[in-house]
Amino acid sequence: MQDLETISREVNRDLRAYKATLMVCTGTGCISAGAFNVRDALNRILKEKSLESDYLVIGTGCNGFCAVGPIVVVQPEGIFYQKVKAKGDVEEIVEKHLQKGSVVERLLYRDPATGQRFQTMADIGFFSKQRPIALRNKGIIDPENIEHYIGRGGYRAIRGILESGSPDEVIESVIKSGIRGRGGGGFPAGIKWRSAREAALQRREIPYVVCNADEGDPGAFMDRSIIEADPHSVIEGMMIGAFSVGANEGFVYVRKEYPLAMARLGKAIRQARERGLLGKNIFETEFSFDIHIHRGAGAFVCGESTALMASMSGKAGEPRAKYVHNVEYGYRDKPTVLNNVETWANIPVIIEKGSDWFASIGTGNVRENPWGGSSGTKVFSLVGAINNTGLVEVPMGVTLREIIYEIGGGIPGGRRFKAVQTGGPSGGCIPVEKLDMPVDFDSLTEAGSMMGSGGMIVMDDRTCMVDVAKYFTGFLMDESCGKCTPCREGLPALYETLDRICNGQGKEGDIEFLEEVSETVSATSLCQLGGTAGNPILSTIRYFRDEYHAHIRDKRCPAGHCKALITYSINHEKCTGCTLCALKCPSGAITGEKKQTHRIDPLKCIKCGICFEVCNFDAVEVK
Amino acid sequence: MIMADKISIVINGKPREIPEGTFLLDAVRKEGITVPTLCHHKDLMPSGTCRLCICEIEVRGKKKLVTACNYPVREPLEVWTDSETVTRHRRILAEMYLGRWPNVRAVREIAGLCGVSESRFKGRYTEEDPQSCILCGHCVRACREFALERILDFAGRGIHRHIAMPFNEVDPHCIGCTSCAYVCPTGAIQIVDDLNQPVDPQMIRDHGMKVNAEMANLDPVQCRMREVGTANIVDVMNQYDLLPVKNYKYGSHPEVWKIDSKMLKAKYFTQNMPDGCWKGCSMACAKTIDDFELRTGPYKGQKVCVDGPEYETAAGGSNMGCFDADFIAEFNFYCDTYGIDTISAATTIAFVMECFENGVIDTGVTGGLELNFGSGDEVLELLHQMARGEGFGVDVGQGIRWLKDKWENEYGADRKFMDDIGMETKGLEVSEYVTKESLAQQCGYGMAIKGPQHDEAWLIFMDMVNNELPTYEHKAEALHYFPLWRTWFGLYGLCKLCWNDVVPADNKMTSEPQKVPDHVNNYFKFVEGMTGIKLDEQKMLDQSARVYNLQRVMSRMLGYGTRRDDYMPYRALGPVTAEEYESRQDRYDKQLREIVGVDPEGRSTSEKIKILRDYREDQYDKTVSVVYRRRGWDDNGVPTVERLKELGIDLPELVAIVEKNRG
Repeated sequence: MQDLETISREVNRDLRAYKATLMVCTGTGCISAGAFNVRDALNRILKEKSLESDYLVIGTGCNGFCAVGPIVVVQPEGIFYQKVKAKGDVEEIVEKHLQKGSVVERLLYRDPATGQRFQTMADIGFFSKQRPIALRNKGIIDPENIEHYIGRGGYRAIRGILESGSPDEVIESVIKSGIRGRGGGGFPAGIKWRSAREAALQRREIPYVVCNADEGDPGAFMDRSIIEADPHSVIEGMMIGAFSVGANEGFVYVRKEYPLAMARLGKAIRQARERGLLGKNIFETEFSFDIHIHRGAGAFVCGESTALMASMSGKAGEPRAKYVHNVEYGYRDKPTVLNNVETWANIPVIIEKGSDWFASIGTGNVRENPWGGSSGTKVFSLVGAINNTGLVEVPMGVTLREIIYEIGGGIPGGRRFKAVQTGGPSGGCIPVEKLDMPVDFDSLTEAGSMMGSGGMIVMDDRTCMVDVAKYFTGFLMDESCGKCTPCREGLPALYETLDRICNGQGKEGDIEFLEEVSETVSATSLCQLGGTAGNPILSTIRYFRDEYHAHIRDKRCPAGHCKALITYSINHEKCTGCTLCALKCPSGAITGEKKQTHRIDPLKCIKCGICFEVCNFDAVEVK
Repeated sequence: MIMADKISIVINGKPREIPEGTFLLDAVRKEGITVPTLCHHKDLMPSGTCRLCICEIEVRGKKKLVTACNYPVREPLEVWTDSETVTRHRRILAEMYLGRWPNVRAVREIAGLCGVSESRFKGRYTEEDPQSCILCGHCVRACREFALERILDFAGRGIHRHIAMPFNEVDPHCIGCTSCAYVCPTGAIQIVDDLNQPVDPQMIRDHGMKVNAEMANLDPVQCRMREVGTANIVDVMNQYDLLPVKNYKYGSHPEVWKIDSKMLKAKYFTQNMPDGCWKGCSMACAKTIDDFELRTGPYKGQKVCVDGPEYETAAGGSNMGCFDADFIAEFNFYCDTYGIDTISAATTIAFVMECFENGVIDTGVTGGLELNFGSGDEVLELLHQMARGEGFGVDVGQGIRWLKDKWENEYGADRKFMDDIGMETKGLEVSEYVTKESLAQQCGYGMAIKGPQHDEAWLIFMDMVNNELPTYEHKAEALHYFPLWRTWFGLYGLCKLCWNDVVPADNKMTSEPQKVPDHVNNYFKFVEGMTGIKLDEQKMLDQSARVYNLQRVMSRMLGYGTRRDDYMPYRALGPVTAEEYESRQDRYDKQLREIVGVDPEGRSTSEKIKILRDYREDQYDKTVSVVYRRRGWDDNGVPTVERLKELGIDLPELVAIVEKNRG
């Protein structure tokens, strides 16, 4: 095998030989916005102008700032172009920026609040507050080229361990770093590894390592993006884990809905095998290890570790009781370490930079007790009513306010922040009063939500919290495997109650019923799907009980969302008779002459809200 | 059996010690505490899905709710079975059940137990049918655990979960064992057809399911019949020095790991499913090797399916000194294909090998085959010759008795040596157990009517492994009872494997554990359920004795069936050669000293062999006499007229035979 330093030197020398490199984000978000066209156009124009030996176009993984894609970053200066179109914009970048050396002002990011334009990523609030560790290589390397990863220092951690480390030292170091499982449970990874190693030694079995890439939360794409942007970091993390516990086979369980992630990971594994980084006697040592990809069919419950392993074994993806843990009897009844993508991606950095360094980031003191805080960073996918939709990585302990306002750029349309839903469908809704709460495992749990895998859905004042609870309860009801009684029978009953309330048929006692049943479902379910299924209801009742009362007692939806409880009307004083609402109304419910006040026929109105959206004079009102 | 460590737990305030690994529900119920369950079944693995059995526990200072049914106690804990939290959640769960299935009796009972009579969960998913499926999963687990099948399983997700066969069609693989219907608590699964119109199908099922439950729960810790079939005893026999090695010279061998059940399971057996010889039988004792590539013979190079090997065939390998599972599989395949009995073939060839090694015969006789112990290739060639009717195979195919005569007459071979080591009685080769230390089994073989095979009296396990026949009287009684009991299976055409391979957990506590009384009763109930005829031990013994005595009279008619025919070659009784004696010298010397009363000090091996032989032959002789008396036969082994009368088979022609041959 070629020496890593040689590969590194050569790839960096080759890259430096270009006058500039153009990093085109080719994560799933930007691709759907046309990033491949942008990349191809850049290549075409450079070729036409015979500039291809001066400038290199690289398709990177997800840059993170999905709201403004497609993104092109010109390195080494780091000039950040947003919403780049293949036609026109690309020519301008080449001609103006590359050839004439002047930045294309109109493609720069513009702060929606101040209107100020920023040239480089470092200047933009979205990026400047972040601290990339798991996403250290996002937007910087070509994920489909192993040399880029090696050029950034990749595979040095595993080599160092194989040359002079022992499994126990590595495990000790991972424990001391305090890293807790990024998949949702927050179990200290090192402790999990130690248990698996002990079980394997005791039973003389060869354990397995598994990477959970079955990211199923609506609105979450952290794990997908990490694999798309930097698959080798996951592979290297798994190698380190495998060495520590004594495994020689690993699996990545990735859902079929992630074709790009699967393709890039598959390519990365092939490249690693070709370089001898996977396979027999890695770095000429006794250590042999290989990774297989297992495609999941996309059931949410298969993100639960025991269901995931059942699914990997070809059985129905149903969980089992975890009184005997996977670290003892997991996949194929062998001791099995399962961590999620983000956890694995963190491991090489922890080894490289040391556990003290990692533990110094975040909250609490984890050096003595891994449960004593939350160390390192966490990746969140920031979606919903937020300006800067995208992927963010922040140190544990930053406040929700920092994430939502400083990184996320606040709520669009000048609307009011209402709540943020963290932890996926079975997380909870956190209200405005808690905006200054530090974001870490324990604080989120205390607030009735959870870290989960890092989904963060921001809601503004037009979001009805009863409807939110209904949506997530409905999602969980559909995804429940039905194996245990409380989850199977309880969720439909909860959903029906919420549906009734939203339809204006709520009655006294409903809230108590919801609370009572949610608590039983959470307390008695077999797995954590049911175990956390009460959160959406309990947290919305806890923080937005008034809104429930409004629905039940006053038959009113304060957010103006629940169709059965609202009526649309036109304010005669504001209406200019522009006819736009009448034109757009799909049910013909709006009548009125030009320049005359319009009116809505409540019998024909289907409450779709289009008139409200399109009116330029705020003349449509919801009650 | 390994005793588990004890763990201290506190159950509702009372300290208790329980074995490590006990499921919490079992520990709690042992205290007489009622814990409601709907998915639990005593004979099935717990699944923990109804959640009704939740209890509150405190482990290492942390309180949590666990389902008692599948929570294995592995560390000290305190448990509360009906704390406020527990009863509150249980009521809601019961309410869920009652809302979904308001008229199912099992649900109503549980709801009552939890203090629930009304449900707020009635709605669009409510099922009014009192025989609704309540998704307890008993049937799914019974199908898996009792019948090793996957005919039934859950389909649909969440509230749409339901029981189904693959693709919602009737699965042709369903063997109709009725286990699912038997364990169904609501009657959602009904049996629509009882083949053969039994008098009382419920009685048959009640006892058949008991067997199934034992197979599922006890076989894994007793015989592993489902895992490795009868080959499980290769290891046991070797351990007890009872596995025939090199023509029964020895009872164990260091290379046995190459052919034992662990090796067969790891490298050979591929099929592991109920064989279907009996509808619904869940023992699945037959094992098969798929895609086995043959090295010799007419099918050389082809991949075939080998039906086996069972214990007798594997032990036949060790008896020929061939510790090679590849050889055993090939020997197995060709014996089956040629229609040759593996036991007779192996025992005969083992005899040939010992004769060859002792110079009784040479390659001139064998047609050039170097038939030393362990020469597998030569054995296979000999087998092919037997089938083709060629060369030395023609002779060997005639069996030991025929070979002894020929070699004595034509080559002047040492008849006495051949009689001592030629393992046959009545012309039938002995099956694969070393009987030297089991007087009961020596007589079991020697006195078997059709010759020395284990079908009629297989007492070696109870005599040597379980030590259930400690006295002389026990052995004689066993030699009366068991041949009759085993003959009885033949009368009814029933398989005997579910009689004494796996036994009830409390079998040892019964007065006659060797008989496995609970299982004998199962068979009586099968007959009663089918025919309506009640059976008991005496009736059973009388039925068998009529046939058994008839068989003995017929033997006599054919020139066998007297005392002379009931003797075993001395190899079956004790050490014939010096090497045999010396290989277990400590044991034999001890017996001389303690049992025979002769000081072995300073005596030569041949002298000691002689003394031991005289003693053992005398013991055998005495046992035979006692057994004859117990069976109602005269001292020459011929049934008395009185016995025939007693059994109601004193037909004139039978009496004539008996009278004529009285010795």
